[in-house]
Amino acid sequence: MKNWSQSNSFYIGFQQMTAAMRHEIRLIFSDAGVLIILFAVPLIYPVLYSFIYYPEVVRDLPIAVFDESASAQSRSYLRNLDATPEVSIAAHVRSMDEAARLFREGKVRGIVQIPSTFSDDIALGRQATVSAYADMEFFLYYKALVTGASFVTLETGRNIQIRNLTKTGYTDRQAEVTAEPLKLVENAMANPAGGFASYGIPAALILIIQQTLVLAIGIIAGSIREKQSGSVPKIIEYGGPGEIIRQLIGKAVVYFLIYAVLCQFMLGLIPSWFGYPRNADFIEIGILITPFLLSSIFLGQFLSVFFKNRESAMLLYLFTSIPLLFLSGVIWPLSNFSPLWQMVRALFPSSDAMTGYIKLNSLGAATGEISKETGLLWVMTAAYFVLAFMAHFFIHIRSKHLREEVIGTDMN
Amino acid sequence: MKRILFNIRQVTVREIFRMSSGSLILMVTLILPVASTLFFWSLMKEGVPDKMPVAVVDLDQTQTSRKLIRNIDITPLSQVIMQPESIAEALSELRKGNIYGFVVIPENLQADILASRQPVISYYYQNSFLIAGGLMQNDLTMILHTLSGGINIQKREAMGQNEEEIMAQVQPVSLNTHLLFNPWSNYSVYVTSIVLPIMLQIFILLMTVYSIGIEIKEKTSREWLRTSGKSVVVALTGKLLPYTAIFFIVMMFQNFILYKVLGIPMHANVGWLVLISLIYVLSYQAVGIFFIGLLPLMRHGLNLSAFYAILALSLCGFSYPVEYMPSIFRFWAEAFPVRHYMHIFQRQILAGGDLFYSLPDYLFMLLFLLLPFTVLYRLKSALIHQNHIEDLPQSYHQITHA
Repeated sequence: MKNWSQSNSFYIGFQQMTAAMRHEIRLIFSDAGVLIILFAVPLIYPVLYSFIYYPEVVRDLPIAVFDESASAQSRSYLRNLDATPEVSIAAHVRSMDEAARLFREGKVRGIVQIPSTFSDDIALGRQATVSAYADMEFFLYYKALVTGASFVTLETGRNIQIRNLTKTGYTDRQAEVTAEPLKLVENAMANPAGGFASYGIPAALILIIQQTLVLAIGIIAGSIREKQSGSVPKIIEYGGPGEIIRQLIGKAVVYFLIYAVLCQFMLGLIPSWFGYPRNADFIEIGILITPFLLSSIFLGQFLSVFFKNRESAMLLYLFTSIPLLFLSGVIWPLSNFSPLWQMVRALFPSSDAMTGYIKLNSLGAATGEISKETGLLWVMTAAYFVLAFMAHFFIHIRSKHLREEVIGTDMN
Repeated sequence: MKRILFNIRQVTVREIFRMSSGSLILMVTLILPVASTLFFWSLMKEGVPDKMPVAVVDLDQTQTSRKLIRNIDITPLSQVIMQPESIAEALSELRKGNIYGFVVIPENLQADILASRQPVISYYYQNSFLIAGGLMQNDLTMILHTLSGGINIQKREAMGQNEEEIMAQVQPVSLNTHLLFNPWSNYSVYVTSIVLPIMLQIFILLMTVYSIGIEIKEKTSREWLRTSGKSVVVALTGKLLPYTAIFFIVMMFQNFILYKVLGIPMHANVGWLVLISLIYVLSYQAVGIFFIGLLPLMRHGLNLSAFYAILALSLCGFSYPVEYMPSIFRFWAEAFPVRHYMHIFQRQILAGGDLFYSLPDYLFMLLFLLLPFTVLYRLKSALIHQNHIEDLPQSYHQITHA
């Protein structure tokens, strides 16, 4: 008999949960606004951003050259410069004024000047100086010019040095070792081409997931509250703590399932279509994304109690999106965060999920190497679940009081 | 004329009463814009990241290798926080994110240098973060080239060459890099100068669309229009004027942070700064009117604004240049006042260039002010007929009775 009643209460609980799920699904699919947030945004944004950053790197940056030397050496230097992937000579000018004018007009993005003494300096064994004028306003232009010009300068210098040394009786090998006592081998881990999309898109994908989840949950809760305002505040009453838990979990299951499908597109198809780093397999990503989705959902459920109408969730979404990108540590290095911003950063699931996802997918980390991120996301899942429960429980108590008051006044 | 001015005043007074009744308005117009300004300033106030954690795998363990480690440690940018035993261990630390890069000093480094066997030094850095990756690459490359050059110099000194000759021999060509208009390579200035206006445009758009949309949603639009003497131009002017004033003050506060606190050099008269800030606020208010006029249902107007405002971060072209995007985005980018503002900031204020070069951008920004006139009729009809009010979907009605 006892056994039967236990299984029966379990059955009722399960029924309550599936009822909550069905109800949430009905709300989502009958609300065009929510459907846009849940489906259009996660589908359109990644594609749009991928196209915006499609060429990924700045190549053949147009520059002006002012060759005062006009010698075989300077022409060879400029030929090599033109041949680098980073820059391309767009104009040979006769004065710095002319170069500056082209620069102001935006026709060239940098200037390289070779002094008239260039070939004499080299012949006489004096150090020759090449000047590069770069535009710092656009970080990538600056980087392209400096990378291209440094490379050619080092190569030219090395060749001159080796030639000078062989003239004094060194063998080729001796000259090479003297010019380069150490051989330097550079290894860029992840994103060796320095593609801009590979920097930004992985972070953006994760951020979109969290922001749309919080927004969608918030819009639905805000709409319910908006519907009720004006009339007696009979905010949804629950049967008790157990029912609140079943409601929260039932709704969470719905969002989790929807996003499990969306992630196949955002974290599966998009990187493969556009050639973003894909070092992690399905299971590894799943291990990170599962606590991320759950913590984002419970964060959304917790925040949703504060939204008074449909618009307030949108306000939060707009205000937080860009700062959260900066807080993640993807743009400004984490090692330079003050303790205050470290703490604020830790409050949002997107921060750890972004760095975890980049480590997994771009740097090829193993699941064990991102255990810090995964662990923190589980902690957040638990913490936001408790907070969401407490917030809803508080509302439950309050509306019970309100109802008693209302009934009380009716009796009088 | 007098009548019009009176009506504008009436609408403005009405708006100020409405403003003081809701906390949301205070949030969007004042608290959040100022908070976001302080956030970006405080997050990156060091200007250039310093003391980023790196590692050295020292397989040599000699005087030379220890000197190299010290040299890396004392550069302002890096800090040697660990010395892993093996490359595998260092790679794992890199993947965990504990270090941004590491250098591998091979066995027998010192002996190989002495014997002119050209030992190989490898260095690794993670390149999945834009600023950190670029800095690590520059820093490690520079340190190791300096080391290599130093050995070259020492050997030549031992052979008895004189110092002046040596420098020219070791580095026959040197590159002198000049930065135009922004003589400090300061990321904080670079990022903050554009991100602050981008955050502000979010709030201006949001507030403009909300303040008009809420009149339609709450069916107060007819009374609003009556106060204005039934002129939609007067109604809009009177309503948005207080916001123009507040956002203009917020923008001047941002300018104060940029030019006085962060110390960005200003090469134009301060009057230009005032003018461009005012045009900036007005042009975004105009875009806001255009959006809510186009989609008088507030929620749709807000969605459109959100889409447009967030996109400005990418399409204004400060992170990734617009010229290198597919051509359609080059035209699209012109549709953001912040892009023109950025041009004026860079060419006129920062570089002190002639007004002539910024003129097209001023004209573009003024063009935005014409946008509202294309939707005036539609907006007025929406205000009168209040036919853009959305009833919540049926499912919401069921819930409260459940």
